[in-house]
Amino acid sequence: MSDPKRNPGYEAVDALLAAAVEPEPLPPVEQRRTLRESLGLSRAQVAAALGVGPSTVGGWENGRDPAGEVRGQYAYFLDAARTKLADRSPQPRPCVLCGGPATEEIEGFPQHLDPQECARAAAPQEPEPEPVRPAPEAQPEPEPEPEPLPKTKTPAPTRTAPARTPTPTPVRSRPPGQSAPEAALIGRAVEQALAEHQGDVEAATAQLVRRAIPDAMALLDACRTGGRYDVIAHPWVPDILRKQSSRGSDSIWEARPKWTRPELPPGAHEVTALDINGAYLSALKTHLPIGQLEHSSGFGHDRRRAGVHLITPPDWHHDPYLPNPLGNRDEPGPLWVTEPTLRLLLRLAGPKYGLCEPPEIHESFTSGATENLLEKFRTALRDAREQAIQADDETTVEYVKAMYAKFVSTMGESNYNRELYRPDWMHLIRSQAFANLWMKAHRAHEQGLSVVRVMGTDELHVTGDWRRVFDEGRGVLEVKVKDVYTVGSDDAAGLTEELPDA
Amino acid sequence: MPEHTLEFGKYGARGVRGSEAVFRRLDDLAGFIVSPVDSRRGLLARLHYLTRTDHARAAARAAGLTVTDRTLKAWLDGRQRPTARNLQRIEDAYRTVRRHNVAQHLLRRLNSRGGTRVELHPLNQSQVPRPRQRVLEYRSLNIRRWDRIVQAWSTGDTGALDDAWVDQIVDLGSQWGQYEYVTNVGFAA
Repeated sequence: MSDPKRNPGYEAVDALLAAAVEPEPLPPVEQRRTLRESLGLSRAQVAAALGVGPSTVGGWENGRDPAGEVRGQYAYFLDAARTKLADRSPQPRPCVLCGGPATEEIEGFPQHLDPQECARAAAPQEPEPEPVRPAPEAQPEPEPEPEPLPKTKTPAPTRTAPARTPTPTPVRSRPPGQSAPEAALIGRAVEQALAEHQGDVEAATAQLVRRAIPDAMALLDACRTGGRYDVIAHPWVPDILRKQSSRGSDSIWEARPKWTRPELPPGAHEVTALDINGAYLSALKTHLPIGQLEHSSGFGHDRRRAGVHLITPPDWHHDPYLPNPLGNRDEPGPLWVTEPTLRLLLRLAGPKYGLCEPPEIHESFTSGATENLLEKFRTALRDAREQAIQADDETTVEYVKAMYAKFVSTMGESNYNRELYRPDWMHLIRSQAFANLWMKAHRAHEQGLSVVRVMGTDELHVTGDWRRVFDEGRGVLEVKVKDVYTVGSDDAAGLTEELPDA
Repeated sequence: MPEHTLEFGKYGARGVRGSEAVFRRLDDLAGFIVSPVDSRRGLLARLHYLTRTDHARAAARAAGLTVTDRTLKAWLDGRQRPTARNLQRIEDAYRTVRRHNVAQHLLRRLNSRGGTRVELHPLNQSQVPRPRQRVLEYRSLNIRRWDRIVQAWSTGDTGALDDAWVDQIVDLGSQWGQYEYVTNVGFAA
């Protein structure tokens, strides 16, 4: 043991160690396939050249690493492929993800391999509408770190400028209502009606409003093609959602707000009555139960489900300046509320707001929920509405309004729309509109306006400089002024000019 | 057929026979007078429906309302109130006549545009022991020809309706037996 080198066994080990070389570095897994495909080579071709099976190559491109001699060959192939690709000086094409110039492609679709590159490519694209801007300034953002892969990098602005001449269209933000096939349905109906009535706008509008319900259902069907979930139209409905009599109501409390501030500080106040545009249209985006409602009790709240809940509401101590999110309920005790109301209450009980105690949930009828069930439908209507407002086309505006309003009001047990019997959805969408209005009132209050009155679906009366908080206009994110009136009198000295904080 | 359910509810499953749900749904679509027959308003509405024309009177008689014209007139004038048994007869006759009258319109709507899509909501097995529960999905199918179903419904023949219905849901495939009992059958007309 004194001199190990004498022993031939150790020499063999030494030889073995000398033969074991550092494994060849390989590019990351996700690039291997791209490199092979950009050269137009099939797996079988590569496999034949390397003397392995095609599925082995497939394995290497999906996370396994080759070992031994063939690893060196594979690394050589990938390296050579990369060099060859770089020599080809690829023409950047618009990336399908962000629209920026991309040199890589996956399965024939040009795109960036890294989301960061998309962000980088999108950044210099922003100032494109300004044609006066000189080219070198177009990419003023200094790169925060050196590019790891110089060949896959976004090309320098001097090179992109000619390549981008066919302006790449961003996929996400298509012009409102143009390329969506659903929106064409709306446009076609309006055209037909106008043609039928020889341009008599009033008669055409009346006809369109009359056929709004079947048209809305047709639009919903068109919007559901390729959708992940079926619209289940006739599920079993628990008794609490059934009307007690033909004219009566069911047991659900929708939390419609009807609140007036008990008292304002002395002095005259100019109150602006604001109207929320398309409140029910925006409320179509809410967590809707997909299937049949199932009963459960005592399990707290599951965020992945939606439905109706029997709760004991928390006490509300902010009535002098903020409405109760439950609306003005006269009777105390437990009541059936819908998902949006419950979520609003839970939100207000959370650490961010801390306005009340969390409600106590006793039992629930819920089903797995999604917010996207009516999303395409809503977007199609919203885009059609926006486009019509821009084009000053009141016929389409009225038609779209009738479509969503009647869709919501007849989706329950109405005889005017027998295609859809979802009283639960009707309540949820209405409650969502009320919850949205409540959040707007809260925002006004937070920003220092005094909320004077919150009424119905879309009425919000405030004092103070509301233009600071809300934008005026006809879009769904904007508000319009319904009325301006004065309350109180100037008798109280000195306080008239300053509007007090709530 | 081996797919038939023999002892429904033995392990706690809950639901109704599919044909029964269809019967109820067709009744919903037919739209009966809502006021109950023992209220004055409901009684008069039914009697008016059954006595408006000679044709209606004959149909009512055929449907089992075998009272004299004199009694009918006394009921309509409010001089006399029908007995409980006669109230039941009025109600039955009204439903039969109404079903018969509505049937052909309903059938036309159900058969139009390539038939009507039917939703089948599976039975409720929340009370079934876990090992005996099975995976039941919501299913839907399109029924093109409703003639037999509507015919059986309009004559109130539940047996024929059940046969006609089972003949349709056999199209669901080899597992149609799981949908012999359901919580709800939904369709529009």
